[in-house]
Amino acid sequence: MTDTTTSPPETQPDDGKTRSGRPSLPLLPLGIVGAVVVALLLVYTVGGKDSGLVTQSIVTGLLLGGVYALVSVGLTLIFGVLGIVNFAQGAMLTLAMYLVYQMVDAGGIPVYVATLLAIPVMFLFGVLVQAALLNKLTMADNEEGPLLVTLGLSLLIVNVLLMIFGGRPKRVPSSVEGSFEVLDAIVSWERLIAFAGALLVAGALTLILRGTSFGLSIRAVSANTQGASLVGIDVRRIYAMTFGIGSACVAVAGGLMVPFLSLTPTVGEQFTILAFVIVVLGGLGSVKGAVVGGLVIGLVQTVGALYLPGTGSLILVFAVFVLVLFFRPQGIFGVKQ
Amino acid sequence: MKKVSLAAVLAAGTVALAACGSGSSGSGSDGDIMIGSVHPLTGALAGVGALMNDGAKLAVEDVNADGGIESLDGRKLTLGEGDSKGAADTGQSEAQRLISDGAVALVGTYQSDVTANVSAVAERSRVPLVIDVAVDDSILEQGYKNTFRIQPDATSMGADGADDLIALAEANGKPVKTVSYIHIEGAFGQSVFDAFKEQAESQGVQVLKEVTYPGTNFTDATTQVREAAAGNPDVIVATGYYPDQLLVAQAVKALDPDIDALYGVANGAFDDGSFPNDAGAAGENVLSANYHYGATNDEVADIRKRFEAEFGRPMETASVLSYQAVMVIAQALEEAGSDDPEDVRDAIAEIEVEDPLLAFDGPITFDETGQNENATVIVMQTKKGKVEQVFPDEFTTSEPVYPAK
Repeated sequence: MTDTTTSPPETQPDDGKTRSGRPSLPLLPLGIVGAVVVALLLVYTVGGKDSGLVTQSIVTGLLLGGVYALVSVGLTLIFGVLGIVNFAQGAMLTLAMYLVYQMVDAGGIPVYVATLLAIPVMFLFGVLVQAALLNKLTMADNEEGPLLVTLGLSLLIVNVLLMIFGGRPKRVPSSVEGSFEVLDAIVSWERLIAFAGALLVAGALTLILRGTSFGLSIRAVSANTQGASLVGIDVRRIYAMTFGIGSACVAVAGGLMVPFLSLTPTVGEQFTILAFVIVVLGGLGSVKGAVVGGLVIGLVQTVGALYLPGTGSLILVFAVFVLVLFFRPQGIFGVKQ
Repeated sequence: MKKVSLAAVLAAGTVALAACGSGSSGSGSDGDIMIGSVHPLTGALAGVGALMNDGAKLAVEDVNADGGIESLDGRKLTLGEGDSKGAADTGQSEAQRLISDGAVALVGTYQSDVTANVSAVAERSRVPLVIDVAVDDSILEQGYKNTFRIQPDATSMGADGADDLIALAEANGKPVKTVSYIHIEGAFGQSVFDAFKEQAESQGVQVLKEVTYPGTNFTDATTQVREAAAGNPDVIVATGYYPDQLLVAQAVKALDPDIDALYGVANGAFDDGSFPNDAGAAGENVLSANYHYGATNDEVADIRKRFEAEFGRPMETASVLSYQAVMVIAQALEEAGSDDPEDVRDAIAEIEVEDPLLAFDGPITFDETGQNENATVIVMQTKKGKVEQVFPDEFTTSEPVYPAK
């Protein structure tokens, strides 16, 4: 984590459009899509790889990117509004997965129903964490405090899960196994559902932030905490609700991912670093940025793996990350400070 | 100022990590003889680490129930438990702690990089280390006098894995001509692959493709499997750990390439007790060449039964190896008639353990580098939701299905 993540949030949750009061031209999204398409066409034409294999890696990359986006959306929201770098995001993801696992395993509830049930539970968990542990520090503008609290929280969650469930990998049977073929590429139903869920969550969040008075309050607090409290917004409540929503996002992510991952107490941690990369890449606090960043990173990782096997694809991810930040330090959808 | 805060976070993280889960240390008093156990009890590998620690614990209980070490007036054993947390430096400091607490010998550690550090400590302190699980060849290439390994090393697992595949396919009338290989990146995957390739090619089997994947952030194996299948190999061979190899098996099932078999070598998943259930249809008929507890051995059956009754979980091969490692030390103590670590070392170097608990070619005896001379792999297969031993004949619990479709 560099200075970028620890600086206070200057961006708003619904990105650039409202700041200047007029909608900006969609040049940037078009540019990104254009660049990605050109890059993929190059891979097809002069990449020297079997076209079926390339299609497969693109499909896999997009589906993986959706999963990444899902994990990152909650992280970016919490950062954008509260200015908290939530180190516990990965551990909370794991917690949500075990919650779903427990409901499926002990209660016999189908996995996607269990996911729906996990949403309010994780929301409450998030609200409680913010209200009980973090609000005081956030209100006092303490920068390191919340960092340490979330770091401690993540260690606590991981070790409690280890104590209760042990470290042997666990599996959750899915209700929709199997896969289908599209354009010579295999698509697994479970991953497609996770992808659709990611888009749905991002869409719903955008709607809440833009279209409801509650969303307006969140944006107001994000833009100017003092001003918001002066016009009668209960800032503490908004903070708690926002952390709750961020936690509810990982409940969805956990539930949708658990059918295709082996569940161990540390499974969520591998997503933490990538989620930070995605959030910074997309622009801190931008929901749209988290989705686009997730898809880009997913594609870079899997298509890149065709040429740089092993850890090489991750090196490529970080190279793209550095490159983007070099030309656009605020991230793709971030606002210049 | 920001740099300061980052440093504070890192420092706090280290403190917090150090604070959680410190192992309980054995007494090391005059009465009891302490054996130190170093395994990953927390962190990503905590599951298997706990099983191994429990395996060592059961061995100590069994020795004590049997009257302790007779040649030392029936003195009892205790187990000093160390938690490596899966990290090489922590494993090293835990080994040091256990030795200064009075451990006369060490067992561990499951991971090659941790074991490399612990074996260096063992050498410096002149306390023998009996490796239960750690595959990397280089550990025993240091010329150390105090490190011994019961399981086969990476090179012999790769080479024996190739021999077994070729012989098994030949015996079933469907000889292998070409394979593609998927393995995890790093010393473990690479050394097994290199040995397999050399051995296979010396017998005229062509290795068409080598596909590697990273050990972290690996959540989908479809692309890798597709790449491996692209050259139409007869067999796809795979080496890696549990979560990633489960993904490989599932991707093979989804893509359904025209192959005779999916064949694991030193594979952390394919012969694990949880694999058939976790993989479902994707796990059926998957082959795996690995060292394994002797499923046809009555003593092993008894130990595994008591283990499950006491700890509530099935005893996997790694755990049986920890049990075996403690038993090797107990036998050495018995034969040395001394609890001086250097005497124990000399006794281990000369030891001959008849009827090993693993499916090996002969007794456990160590060569001058400390490697068990009779360690070998056997071939297992998932059949109807169970892991069966299918090759070679002397260890079979069930007939192999080949081609394994």
